[in-house]
Amino acid sequence: MASIASTPAATGPRLADSGLVATLARPALWLWVVVVVAGLFVPAVLTSSFYLGMLINGVTLGIAAIGIGFLMYQCGLVMFGVAAFIGLPAYLLGIGSMHLGLGVTVSVLFALVGSAAFAAVVGALAVRARPLPFAMLTLALAQMLKSTATLQGMRPLTGGDDGLTMTFSGTFFGFTQSQLANGVTFWPLAWLALCGVLTVVWLAAHSRFGRVLRATQANEERMRFSGFDTYLPRLVAFVMASFIIAVSGVLIGLNSAFASPELLDFATGGRPLVAMLVGGASTIAGPLLGALLYTWGQDAFGATGHLELLTGIAVVVVIAAFPTGASGFVMQLARRVRAAAGRGGGAAR
Amino acid sequence: MDFAQIFSVAQFANALALASLLTILASGLALIFGLRDVMNFGHGAFYMLGAYLSYSVSQRVSFWAALVIVPVLMAALGALFELAVLRPLQRRSHMDVALVTFGLALIIGPVVHQLWGTAPLSVEPPAALSGSVLLLGTQYPVYRLFLIAVGFGTCLALAGWLKYTRSGMHTRAVSQQPHVARMMGVNTDRLSLLVVCLGIGFAGLAGVLAGPYLSVDPGMGSAILISCLIVVVVGGLGSIGGAIAAAFVYGFIQVIGTVLFPSIAVLAPYLLLFGVLLWRPQGFGRGRVA
Repeated sequence: MASIASTPAATGPRLADSGLVATLARPALWLWVVVVVAGLFVPAVLTSSFYLGMLINGVTLGIAAIGIGFLMYQCGLVMFGVAAFIGLPAYLLGIGSMHLGLGVTVSVLFALVGSAAFAAVVGALAVRARPLPFAMLTLALAQMLKSTATLQGMRPLTGGDDGLTMTFSGTFFGFTQSQLANGVTFWPLAWLALCGVLTVVWLAAHSRFGRVLRATQANEERMRFSGFDTYLPRLVAFVMASFIIAVSGVLIGLNSAFASPELLDFATGGRPLVAMLVGGASTIAGPLLGALLYTWGQDAFGATGHLELLTGIAVVVVIAAFPTGASGFVMQLARRVRAAAGRGGGAAR
Repeated sequence: MDFAQIFSVAQFANALALASLLTILASGLALIFGLRDVMNFGHGAFYMLGAYLSYSVSQRVSFWAALVIVPVLMAALGALFELAVLRPLQRRSHMDVALVTFGLALIIGPVVHQLWGTAPLSVEPPAALSGSVLLLGTQYPVYRLFLIAVGFGTCLALAGWLKYTRSGMHTRAVSQQPHVARMMGVNTDRLSLLVVCLGIGFAGLAGVLAGPYLSVDPGMGSAILISCLIVVVVGGLGSIGGAIAAAFVYGFIQVIGTVLFPSIAVLAPYLLLFGVLLWRPQGFGRGRVA
C-alpha cells in the first residue's frame, strides 16, 4: 500500500486532489452548503408550529439514531442503552445551570464534555466485550443511571422522580431561554447541530479511521496480526457515538428545560434504536430518514390510541420484511430503476 | 451494624426466594440463547403474560390449576414463537432477531393492558400456602418456602434432563458447539422447538409463581427482564449451570445489599455485572462466548 502510494504516478493526482482549492471546487461540497443554508429557512415555509415541533423531535431523535447507526455500521456494536447518553447530558445541563451556577453556554459544554468523559471511562470496559454482552452492558448502564438519578440521596441534585426543571442564566449563542423553548427560534440550532453531526460522521466514515474500524469488524484477528491496534479505534468510535447522542440529549434539555428519569428509561433508548433500524444503518442519512418516519408514525399511531401496539407491529414487520431498512430499500429500488434504464438505453442504441 | 440481623434465616430465605424466581426465568432465557443464539427481549413480556393468565385462572378455578394450565398454555405460545418468528428469521443477524423480540414485547404489553387493565392486581396464595410458619425461631411466610421448593425442584429437573436424557445431551452439544453438533446429525430445528417451548413455559411458570409473591402489574415484565439479562450475562451466555449460579449470587447480593446499604442497594446488580465482566468477561459458566 505504502509503496504504491509513493510512486510518482500515484502521488501526482492525489496531491492535486487533496489541495484546498480542489476541495472547494467540488460540486458536492457546494450542494451541501446550499442545503445547510436552505435548511435554516424551514420555519418560513413550514408555518404550522405543530409540524415544526414534530420535525424538531424528528431531528433530535435522528441525531441520536445517527450516533448509534455509526457505531453499528462501523464497529458492529449495537448500543441498547442509548438512553444513558440522552439522559446524562440533559441532567448534567440541569445540574450545571441549577446547582453549579454556570451560564447556559458553559453548562452545555459541561454536559457534552462530562458525557464524553463518562463514555470514555465506560467504553474502556464496554468495547472489550463481544457485541451481545456489549448491548446488554450499555442497557444495564442506562438502567443504572436511571436508578442513580432516582435515588433518595440524589434528590437534592436530580429532583428524584419529579425530574429537574431548569432555568438558564445568560444566553446560548444569543438565544434566551424563551427563544430556546420556541420551535421557530430553536430550529436553526437543531438544524445546524444535525448538519454538523452528518458532516462529522461522513468525514469519519470516509477517513482511514473508518476503514480501520470496518476492517476490524470484518476480521479483528487479521487486523491485530497486521499490526493494527484494534482496541483504541473502537473506543474512539464509542466515545464519538456517545458524544453525538449527547448532542441530541443537550438539544432536548435546551428545548424542554427539563430533565426527567424518563429520559433514562429503556423506552427512550428504544426509540432511536428502532428509528435507526427502520431507516437502515448502511447509509449515513438512513437513521435520520428512520427517525423522521418514526416521529411521523408515532403521531399517526398516537391518534388511534394504540401507540405501543402499532409501534410494536411496525417494528416487527419492518425488520422482518426490510432487512436493510428504508434507506436500503430506496437504494435497491434506485439501483433497479437505473439498471432497467440502462437496459432500455442499450436496446435503443 | 447488627450482623445477626444480616445473616438471619429470614434474609437467607428471602435471597433464595428471589433467586428461585430468577433461576426459572434465566434458565429459560439461557436455553433459548444456547439453541437459537437469540437474546429474547420478549422474555419479560412472556413472564408478565403468564402472571396475568394465572390471575384469571386462579380467579375462576384455583391457583393449583393455574400452576399447571398456564405453563402449558405458554409452552404452546412458545411453539408459535419458534415456528412463526425464530425459525423464519434464523438466517438473519442476531441483532435483528433480538429487536424483533423487543417489538413483540411492545406488542404483548398493550394487549395485556387492553385485556386486564393497567391497575396492579393481587393474587392470593392458596389456603394451604397462606400464613406463616416457625422457621428456626423466625416466623416466615409459607408461600416463599413453596417458591424456593419449586425453584429448586425446577433446577433439579432441568439438570436431570440435561444430564441424563438424549435430548438433554443434544441441547448441551448444540449450546457449546452448534456446527459440530449439527454435523453429528442433531436435528436443531426439532430440538429448538422443544427448548423454546420449555423456555417460554418456564417464563409462564415464573409468572404464576410471582403472582402471590410480588404484585401483578404492567411494569413487572420490563422490571425483571433487566435482572434476567444481568443474570444470563454474569452466568455466561448460553450456560445453564452458570445462569443458575448467577441467579443465586444475584439474589444474595440484592438482599444483603438491601440490608447493609439500603440507600444504594438498587445499584448492586449493576456493580455485580461490571465487576464480573471486568474479572471474567465470559461469565461464570463454560458457555460459548457469543
